[in-house]
Amino acid sequence: MGNDNFRREIGHVFDEMAGSPSSALPDRVRSSLAHVPEQRGPYWIAGLAAALIAAVVIGVLVVANPLNRPANTVAPGAGTNSSPTPGPTPGPTLSPEAPPNPQEAQFVCTGGSAILPEYAQAPLPAVIDAVRTGTHAGYDRLTIQIKSGGATDVRATIQTGATFTRSPRGDQVTLAGKNGILVIIHNADLHTGYSGPADIKTGYASLVEIQTLEDFEGVVQLGIGVSGAACFRMFPLSNPNRVVIDVQNAS
Amino acid sequence: MFAGVMEQRPELLVSAAAGDAESFTALIEPLLDPAYRLAAVMLADRASAEDAVQEASIKAWRKLGQLRGDLESLRPWFLSIVANECRMARRQRWWSVLKLPEIPPSESTPREGGGSDLHRALLKLSAEERLPLVLHFYLDLPLDEVARALRISPSAAKSRIYRAARRLRSDLTLEEVF
Repeated sequence: MGNDNFRREIGHVFDEMAGSPSSALPDRVRSSLAHVPEQRGPYWIAGLAAALIAAVVIGVLVVANPLNRPANTVAPGAGTNSSPTPGPTPGPTLSPEAPPNPQEAQFVCTGGSAILPEYAQAPLPAVIDAVRTGTHAGYDRLTIQIKSGGATDVRATIQTGATFTRSPRGDQVTLAGKNGILVIIHNADLHTGYSGPADIKTGYASLVEIQTLEDFEGVVQLGIGVSGAACFRMFPLSNPNRVVIDVQNAS
Repeated sequence: MFAGVMEQRPELLVSAAAGDAESFTALIEPLLDPAYRLAAVMLADRASAEDAVQEASIKAWRKLGQLRGDLESLRPWFLSIVANECRMARRQRWWSVLKLPEIPPSESTPREGGGSDLHRALLKLSAEERLPLVLHFYLDLPLDEVARALRISPSAAKSRIYRAARRLRSDLTLEEVF
């Protein structure tokens, strides 16, 4: 394949990903620029003032310690470095630091996908230390627990059929179920902190099997076999960091 | 269009530097489309991409005095600001951007047909790996502009492009990429 072919093909795929900007974008930019010229002044003065104020506030907080509590207080079982032992545990509960009502995320069905963008540009990959399943009223749950690290970009995409391609070997594997969800986690590692099975058969109504498809060069792929229509929702929880995927039970 | 604006750039730049937002808008407007495409591929979210371009435009306006170089420096300079804005958007806390209904199916669903392998492979690249590919192959920036946008040397830019391209197709030779 020559340079032109490669360029054309890659450009076509990027075109599909990006689409076109809305026709309102130039007006939007023009309008926003029209409201900021007065801010183009001597910024170093504002910056210096802000730095001085911040220093005073931090100094007062350090000296006064208004919360009057010792540093490094970690609640039992909390924190991203806790839970050294992976294994079966009850399904995750919503921690106080989780976003409000994450489970109100809508289920997406055929042709749908979901993305959790990376939350940090951490140099270390996200170390997954537990993969758990659970069944609840109306849905089955897969929980992927991240022990440490960051830069996790998680994508989940529904597919017809439960046949997946393993990587990097390139062979195909068919999981239990009629449909599937492909989960791709960037900058992650499933072999350092996780010692559980690579293939989990649940026996649940909807989420019937999970199998590791890839754990190579910082990319982790999991295939999920779903018994009926693959409708799912995905959201994160904190303390410890978890990615939760709920597969809706067929009504 | 960009070339036409570039010809008038010295006058526009003088006016813009003097605080004329209209002149700055005329300079930046031809770059909004490539800026959006860059942001959309990096963020995989079209609404967030437009937000990033808007924010980058404001920052470029504020930092206009820092623009250095010849007539052709504006595009890589602005695109580097857009790329930084995208990085900042991606650094938000992981739970803060959860937009299930807003993800168009075509963005992450592999297409049927011959292009699906490449599509899948591109989705497996991180945003930072996609960035040099977008700049060089999609926005058609020459190597030296890619290098300026990434703030690295041309040889390092070439290396990053080749490395990312090889992640898409391991059998690619250097001649097939450049």
